[in-house]
Amino acid sequence: MSTLHDLIFDYTLRNVALGGMLLGIVAGVLGAFAVLRQQALLGDSLSHAALPGICIAFMITGSRESLVLLIGAGIAGWIGTWILLRTVNATKLSEDTMLGVVLSVFFGVGILLLTYIQQTNNANQAGLDKYLFGQAASLIARDVWTFAILGTASLAIVVLFYKEFKLLSFDPEFLASLGLPQRRLDLALTSLLVVAVMIGLQTVGVVLMAAMVIGPGTAARQWTDNLRTMLMLSGLFGGLAGLIGAVISVQASHLPTGPSIILTLTIIVVASILFAPRHGIVAEWWRNRARRAAFQAALESGERPS
Amino acid sequence: MGTKMQHPIDERAAVTVHDLTVAYREDPVLWDIDLSIPTGSLTAIIGPNGAGKSTLMKAILGLVPPAAGTVEIFGHTSERQRRLVGYVPQRGSVDWQFPTNALDVVTMGTYGQLGWIRRPGKAEKQRALAALDQMGMADFADRQISQLSGGQQQRVFLARALVQDAQLYFMDEPFVGVDARTEAAIIELLKSLRDHGKTVVVVHHDLDSAPNYFDHVVLLNVQKIASGPMAETFTTENIERTYGPSKSARTKVAAS
Repeated sequence: MSTLHDLIFDYTLRNVALGGMLLGIVAGVLGAFAVLRQQALLGDSLSHAALPGICIAFMITGSRESLVLLIGAGIAGWIGTWILLRTVNATKLSEDTMLGVVLSVFFGVGILLLTYIQQTNNANQAGLDKYLFGQAASLIARDVWTFAILGTASLAIVVLFYKEFKLLSFDPEFLASLGLPQRRLDLALTSLLVVAVMIGLQTVGVVLMAAMVIGPGTAARQWTDNLRTMLMLSGLFGGLAGLIGAVISVQASHLPTGPSIILTLTIIVVASILFAPRHGIVAEWWRNRARRAAFQAALESGERPS
Repeated sequence: MGTKMQHPIDERAAVTVHDLTVAYREDPVLWDIDLSIPTGSLTAIIGPNGAGKSTLMKAILGLVPPAAGTVEIFGHTSERQRRLVGYVPQRGSVDWQFPTNALDVVTMGTYGQLGWIRRPGKAEKQRALAALDQMGMADFADRQISQLSGGQQQRVFLARALVQDAQLYFMDEPFVGVDARTEAAIIELLKSLRDHGKTVVVVHHDLDSAPNYFDHVVLLNVQKIASGPMAETFTTENIERTYGPSKSARTKVAAS
């Protein structure tokens, strides 16, 4: 009861809860598209590539304003993704090879810059290290407003262009044959994922953000065979994990928020993979068990099972 | 080669391809293709693996950029004629685990007519159902696409093209890996489309069945080897020039 009271009246906890939830919803919905388009690791490259962007944005502006840093993150994430996709196209290297390269180089540069900033700004603790594993307690009301505006805009675009994004995800060649601009729609959907990652960086951190992109969609897919339902469930699962994980991290003497959210999400994912009706492992085992029993009975009676 | 020099401007050509070259990384996949496909024909594009059959189709559709040359559909660029063109991609080109059902996939055929943002309504669903019915798939409208057999998936793709209500259809390997019932349904569909004055271009790989299903043929192996009416063009000599001697030896045996 006291947690509920605090959720409503405690400034920090309210920001943490809302911030975590918003990030989970947006990352969940857009991550679901990434999962369906088999681009799950795109979120990984995006978020790791964002770290040097945060550092450079700080070094240029000297600002700790989260919006400024997140724009730096978004730009760097974009450049990393662009390099990834271009080099995969232009060389015969496989996507996971290039992903490994881009991800580690950008992350390495990011850590380098982070260390440099922390050594030169002893008096002015920049606090950029919160972007590594996330620190929801650092969220202020203005951050939450930023998330809310960016998130609502992203989701509105998804709702508006639902039909186009669906076809892009299922059959991009057919989409192009209809005269719809495949590349621009692809760019738009990827950009929305960039926004989702930007929103998540402060709360979840660059290291674990990929799980926030992949997890909710993976869990949601277990429960439904309908895209619309899957997107909504994905947003719900992401939002729940973000909310619960963020609150736990603040209540339990300031655990890093990223791991706390991701562990919550993992519980949802594992439970979905195990217990979802039809697609779940338990349901499948149960069906097979019934089938095995029927087959065994048929063998014994000598009559062909119907 | 003599016929290549003259370009009879065929008023009745559904597709005119002129000097088309397509390359992937400076490696020509199609080289200097000239051809025209008559309106109302059932045309097969035939050639060995890697001959550029699918690429030719995609280049005509404007899905891959040409390194050189032009393509016209009913006398205009393919961008201008999108509404007149229906397309059936290779079945293997999509992920059939995608969370959707047969009716929804067929409804996607209406997206071009609907334009941006507008969602398909009752009318579109009705047309999609009718197309499914025409392909003998009415009972599978609500079926998850991953639960369909290969042949049923192909018929869903064909129904989606039907909903496009096009004048000119391109089908990429529709006969690959389908059951006898689906094969019969596709043949039926091709005839019905021709009877309605439509033009159908099909990437086909089976030399034996080609003369039975199609009235025109394009023999392709990076370059165009020959094109024209089936009876005159689909000769042992031309097949040999397309595939090399071994393949034609086999068809000779099959024919005798």
